[in-house]
Amino acid sequence: MAQPQKPAKRRSLWTTADGRRFIAGAAVLAVILYGQTVYGMATASGRLDPSLRNATGPSNVIVVLDFMPDRFHNERVAQYGTFAGRDGSLNRMRLRYVSPEKLRALSEVAWISRIEPIK
Amino acid sequence: MSVQASPIATTSSTRRALDRLTWTIAPGVPFVIVLLIWIAATDILQPSKETLPPVSDVLWSIKELALSGQLATNVVASLYRLLLGSILGIITGLIGGVIVGLNRKLAESLNPIVVFFNAISGIVWLPLMITWLGIGTALAVFLIWNTVFFIVFQNAALGVQLVPEVYEQSVRALGGGRWHTMRTVILPGALPYILTGVRTGLGFGWRALIAAELVGAATGLGTMIFDAAEYHRSDIIVAGCLIIGVIAIAMDRWLLLPIERRTVRRWGLVADAEKER
Amino acid sequence: MSVVGAEHVPAARPMPVVTGWAVAARQLRGVKILFPFIVLVAIWWAIQAVGNFPDRVLVSPQRVFDTMVLLVSRGVIAEYVSTSLKIIGIATAISIVIGVPIGFAVGANRYAARSLEGFLRFLQGVSGIAWLPLIIIWFGFTHTTTLAVVIYTLIVPIIFNTMIGARAIPEHYGLALRSLGASRLRLITDVYLPGALPSIVVGLRLGMGYGWRALIAAEMLVRQGGLGDLIFGARTSGQIDRIIGGMIIIGTLYLLIDRLLVQPIENLTIARWGVLRK
Repeated sequence: MAQPQKPAKRRSLWTTADGRRFIAGAAVLAVILYGQTVYGMATASGRLDPSLRNATGPSNVIVVLDFMPDRFHNERVAQYGTFAGRDGSLNRMRLRYVSPEKLRALSEVAWISRIEPIK
Repeated sequence: MSVQASPIATTSSTRRALDRLTWTIAPGVPFVIVLLIWIAATDILQPSKETLPPVSDVLWSIKELALSGQLATNVVASLYRLLLGSILGIITGLIGGVIVGLNRKLAESLNPIVVFFNAISGIVWLPLMITWLGIGTALAVFLIWNTVFFIVFQNAALGVQLVPEVYEQSVRALGGGRWHTMRTVILPGALPYILTGVRTGLGFGWRALIAAELVGAATGLGTMIFDAAEYHRSDIIVAGCLIIGVIAIAMDRWLLLPIERRTVRRWGLVADAEKER
Repeated sequence: MSVVGAEHVPAARPMPVVTGWAVAARQLRGVKILFPFIVLVAIWWAIQAVGNFPDRVLVSPQRVFDTMVLLVSRGVIAEYVSTSLKIIGIATAISIVIGVPIGFAVGANRYAARSLEGFLRFLQGVSGIAWLPLIIIWFGFTHTTTLAVVIYTLIVPIIFNTMIGARAIPEHYGLALRSLGASRLRLITDVYLPGALPSIVVGLRLGMGYGWRALIAAEMLVRQGGLGDLIFGARTSGQIDRIIGGMIIIGTLYLLIDRLLVQPIENLTIARWGVLRK
């Protein structure tokens, strides 16, 4: 520690190659973890049928997917209400007693196509 | 010797003898502690035999398994697979590693692939390999080969690359042929790394084998544990785990380490403290 | 000399500053990395096309890609990947929080270090997966079980390397600071932690490699979501496209975490505090 040193160059994360790599990695990770969730939230309004928009109490809905569901999807959907069978085809599922909070959450699921009221 | 903070260096012979004694028995201490905790927990908490088998049960089941010959069968089955897979892995890893180590361009172009397959080495291949090879020895051997190969390969390549070029060049300049150079310069030079790779690889291979047997249910120690789990025989599970650990340590300390030390010392090559890992 | 375990491949050179030549060079390097994979996929495609294997044995790269895109759009991949990443993340955090203090506490004393070393080696020899049946008996088929196994696997290298790091710090650094009146806390933050940090990060990197594999294996047995569950479950239904796709994702994810997250931390730590000879 003999000679006086120039003030050290300010090394924030941006200036080093490794720092940039880390930031890139963190960004990719964020997209992987939250990308689909964010997408779902962004497109939520398009998913929910207008008549269900301001639901105050439990609703009975039809969850419409644009593909044939796996057991995976059935299980996930069933968590939002009481499963009440199909509505014609396998990709239309009936859910009863979906609370307003669960309805909003349901509308933010990216792989659900539409949520319609049970007529 | 390390720089000790004690300002007064009392180096009486009793003190040194005491130090040496403590040094020797130190590794055993955690095991004794765990044993005591185990016994105490069994006494105080009175857990079900399933949750925490008593020490006596575990020892008893070890004895039973040994007497009935089951232990020997399973251990031999596992070790046989380990041996087979490891030999294949070592030979292929060595050949591949040396070739790649000698050829810089090849090493650079293959590197991404090696890194990727290394990332999925071992158990990740299990589902695919069960489909292709079915459950059995072939599956286990493949998984071990996969694990050992990449480790030996990388270490061999590294070792070959690190042999100072001047040695190779000087032998060639004196008229040595390719093969001669290989035998006398490159292979001995890379040997420490190769042996470390073999040793590490075998350790990994053993662990991968157990994982494979547990999930893939072939025969062997892993299967022994898996079957015991079905019948909720925790004593056999714990016994199996202890045996797995003992074999791992025994293999490493009494088989591989001496080989590594003796070979490296014989050639007068630099071995360093990292070897202990 | 470092033991080439699973992950120790020389790091890529840092990216050049943005100039004309350097941009071209960077693009060329990207191509250089991708090229072997393109060749590999081509060989795969050729084998499948020529061999005409049934679907339950081998499928084409195209098919794997299509299936994966499908599964992503249907939210399956996102969830399984999230589960695995979250478990490895939590396991890493817990392992560091518990492991580093233990490593320091034990590393301080020669005899304690030697004591624990043998025990840790033994634990490492008994892979976390071997304990899995017992842990399932304790915690059931839950994420807790998977987490426990991954923590077990991760924490050993971390403790080990913390011990090594702590022991490698020359004693006069600490003594010098003490003689200048530094408190115990100062000692930790200014001497021991930075001094051991390079070694700790190396241990972290090793541990995450082992831990990721243990995670996949545990998920195969516990079957509560996660990538291991995905590829193992696909086996029962003979969905080779999912198996291969899942394997590719597993490898790519690990590489992402290792190269873009952990390795930069390692390099930055060494650059800042390290006398570590790699």
